[in-house]
Amino acid sequence: MVAASEGYEPDQRPDAARSDAELIVEALLGRGVAFAELASRHRRYVNTLCHRFFRDPEVVRDLAQESLTKAFSGLSGYRAEMPFIGWLRAIVINVCYDELRRRQRRPEELIGSFTEADRTWIELVNDATPEQIVAAAEERNEAHNLAHRLLAMLKPEDRMVLVLKDSEDLSVAEIAAHMGWSEAKVKIRAFRARRVLRKQAEHILASRRTRSRSGLL
Amino acid sequence: MDCFEVRREFPGFWRGSIEEERRQKLLEHLRNCAGCDRAFRAFALTAPVLHSDSRPVGMASDDVSRRPPSAASRLRVWLAATAVATLAMAATVAVYLAVASPTETLDEALSPQDSIGELAPSSPFDLTSAG
Repeated sequence: MVAASEGYEPDQRPDAARSDAELIVEALLGRGVAFAELASRHRRYVNTLCHRFFRDPEVVRDLAQESLTKAFSGLSGYRAEMPFIGWLRAIVINVCYDELRRRQRRPEELIGSFTEADRTWIELVNDATPEQIVAAAEERNEAHNLAHRLLAMLKPEDRMVLVLKDSEDLSVAEIAAHMGWSEAKVKIRAFRARRVLRKQAEHILASRRTRSRSGLL
Repeated sequence: MDCFEVRREFPGFWRGSIEEERRQKLLEHLRNCAGCDRAFRAFALTAPVLHSDSRPVGMASDDVSRRPPSAASRLRVWLAATAVATLAMAATVAVYLAVASPTETLDEALSPQDSIGELAPSSPFDLTSAG
């Protein structure tokens, strides 16, 4: 645990100039402002991670807030041997995982009919060059929405593994340790997740190509 | 670059973090390999969420706290504010009751009997009026 009382002398540097470890010590000593700086420093990361699981900005914000609140209330349990960001990530993952399981829906409800914007995006993914696809994706709401709908088809466990592996770049061993699973289970989950997504994505793209050729578009 | 290498580079290509030389090799491979081209297009359908650091649609660039609060958040804030106001009112009333006499009227409050000079002679500890 972080030494919070013995041999500590507060310095006069602004909070923004202090390290995470220094801010944690200050926060444990009761300076709420120090944790506010810590939260501000990592809020963007927390938001981004929550957004990998949920599309709705309000849900993302609420989960990010809940994660930071839990981090604050559990700060005394933080161990200085690991980076603060890793400890915080574990909290965010738990919060998002609980929410995923709470709102689990049936897959058939998720990919239904496509909007005109969805169809335009799918057509672009089918026909444009890779560079054009990358450039267009960042500007299009429908690219994010469709990606979320596809990912929502996965079971919470499979989605968790996919995000931790692909987005957070964690190793199989790290994911297994965090989730309390065997490494074999993590590999199986990742394999299943990729297979489901690949099939669905190819199905969407192929159906678009077929409709396009038959003049239904 | 073989197919395995190319597909491993998809995330870096999507994020724009690979070197130009490898990027060109990847693009050339995609032009000549139907399997990898199909794999990239499938990858592109989930990459906006899994491999992008951009903010949720409609969200401020780097801090969601700048957005207007949700209905639930507004309700929580309103309830908290109401609770604080109620407590403040209760505290004010309690202080008033503790300090002021409940039977005191305006006339009594303005009466000269309240002055020290009038009350002092009747005090059992008044030494000046004794004898």
